[in-house]
Amino acid sequence: MTCLPDKTDKKLGLLIDLNICVGCHACAVNCKEWNTGGITGPMEDIKPYGDDPSGVWYNRIHSYEFKKEKEADRTVYFPKSCLHCDDAPCVTVCPTGASLKRSEDGIVLVNPDVCIGCKLCSWACPYGAREYDTSAGVMQKCTLCIDKIYDENIPQERRVPACVSTCPAGARHFGDFADPESNVSKRAAEFDGRELFPQMETKPVNKYLPPRKREKHEDRRLTPKVSTVKDALLKWAKLDFTG
Amino acid sequence: MHPALSVIIFTTFSGMGYGLFIWLCGNILNGTAPDNMSIVGGTILSILLVGTGLLSSTLHLGHPERAWRAFSQWRSSWLSREGVMSILTFVPMVFICGQTYIDMGFQKLIEPMAIAGIIGSVLTIFTTSMIYASLKSIPAWHNIWVVIGYQIYALSSGGVAYIMFSDWQQYLYVILLLIVALALKIITWISIDKHRGKYKREDALGLPDFGKAKPFEPAHSQKNYLQREMGYDLDPQRRTLMRWIALGFGFIFPALLLYIGLPITPVITLICLIGMMAERWLFFAEAEHVVRLYYDRESV
Ligand code: SF4
Ligand code: SF4
Ligand code: SF4
Repeated sequence: MTCLPDKTDKKLGLLIDLNICVGCHACAVNCKEWNTGGITGPMEDIKPYGDDPSGVWYNRIHSYEFKKEKEADRTVYFPKSCLHCDDAPCVTVCPTGASLKRSEDGIVLVNPDVCIGCKLCSWACPYGAREYDTSAGVMQKCTLCIDKIYDENIPQERRVPACVSTCPAGARHFGDFADPESNVSKRAAEFDGRELFPQMETKPVNKYLPPRKREKHEDRRLTPKVSTVKDALLKWAKLDFTG
Repeated sequence: MHPALSVIIFTTFSGMGYGLFIWLCGNILNGTAPDNMSIVGGTILSILLVGTGLLSSTLHLGHPERAWRAFSQWRSSWLSREGVMSILTFVPMVFICGQTYIDMGFQKLIEPMAIAGIIGSVLTIFTTSMIYASLKSIPAWHNIWVVIGYQIYALSSGGVAYIMFSDWQQYLYVILLLIVALALKIITWISIDKHRGKYKREDALGLPDFGKAKPFEPAHSQKNYLQREMGYDLDPQRRTLMRWIALGFGFIFPALLLYIGLPITPVITLICLIGMMAERWLFFAEAEHVVRLYYDRESV
């Protein structure tokens, strides 16, 4: 049913720390690795070793350069996958019921046996979180690794999404945002967790921690402090050791 | 958005078909209906136009054989509602056509069916327009002009087609409607051109307080589905040309030719249809999806 549940018992999702992410693409690669052999696989790969490869990825790592007056530029690596929105427009537009949001944990999924491949859901998603599988003729998206996080054959501590377990920098966290005491809720509250594109009113479950604010707004790159031998000697001559 | 021929055909053909059927039903109701054979011809053309449109949109699917599933989610999905309404509206179409061709003794049902035909057609056009107008992610569509436009263009293009069956009785009304449609199209373009740039890349990133963001290195080496489907770049010269074709063929030439009274109504109808296809091509090509903010657009 493509009507959204009034409320979900849990809000499972990801907390992504933009201050920590180093843009290594490991999460994207492990996402593909896990999911191509998982319940929604194989993930389309057209000419993977050719000149013009294309295919489906549930997770893509963008990067941006931020420029602000009186501050040094900063580079922000920006992983982007489905945000499992509470008010998911991709679900309500679906004419078939293939797109759904689970009432137990809030995970947004596509049922590939029902999807007619009309692509409307990908138009409705403001975040570009859905990619169309041209070979299978159905829509694909992040499943929050539903076949990993609930698999009782793997030890409890490893039941986290593939992108979370693989991140070498520890920039990705997984948990229940409905529980204010969960790891992700507490971290999001402490470090200014943000929603992407709040203007779209989708109420994303996933949150992003912004790069940390700089304490001093000085641009060290533009005003380098080079202490030359002459400076040092002058300091000693004046017996002035400040700065 | 990538202007796919299948959806252009879907919306223009079915729009003209429903518009034509509304004119027919209206004239049946106010007693100015043309002769029986013209009613039959008109409804057959409506059915063919709508049928072609629906077929084209069905073939555009990844799984056309599952299309029947699209009738199930009418409680939340405008696309599903559109499917349901379009099938329901075939009932008055087929009924009026059949009953007029061979009197099956249901002549007194013709008028109620004509009312149902008008309501069904208007609702179907409305649900089609809402498929687009409900998408917040595409600002050029998320506005009232799309909803009004779909109705008016269906009526104007359907009106032009109707002249083929009504011996020019209504041509002044059709010309009037073409002028209204022309004005509406220009207002719509002014409105979408003025409202471009409302959303910024920094909003999309959730980082409006970190200064100006620009892509540093691409997220992937080759274009992906998102860029192929939603990254259409409309060349400004092409846009001007297409806008003139849309206005000229869709509204101005049909109005002039009807006014002069040239007895080439099928040709006028074809000209109008080509103009509407140009208009619909632009409807897609000009509409920018906010996902472009993550790629090559600073604002959308
Ligand atoms: S991020 Fe996109 S695909 Fe995922 S739930 Fe939100 S709207 Fe739907
Ligand atoms: S592409 Fe599939 S999942 Fe998406 S709206 Fe269409 S039927 Fe639903
Ligand atoms: S949760 Fe799983 S499917 Fe989603 S981006 Fe991470 S690895 Fe991919």
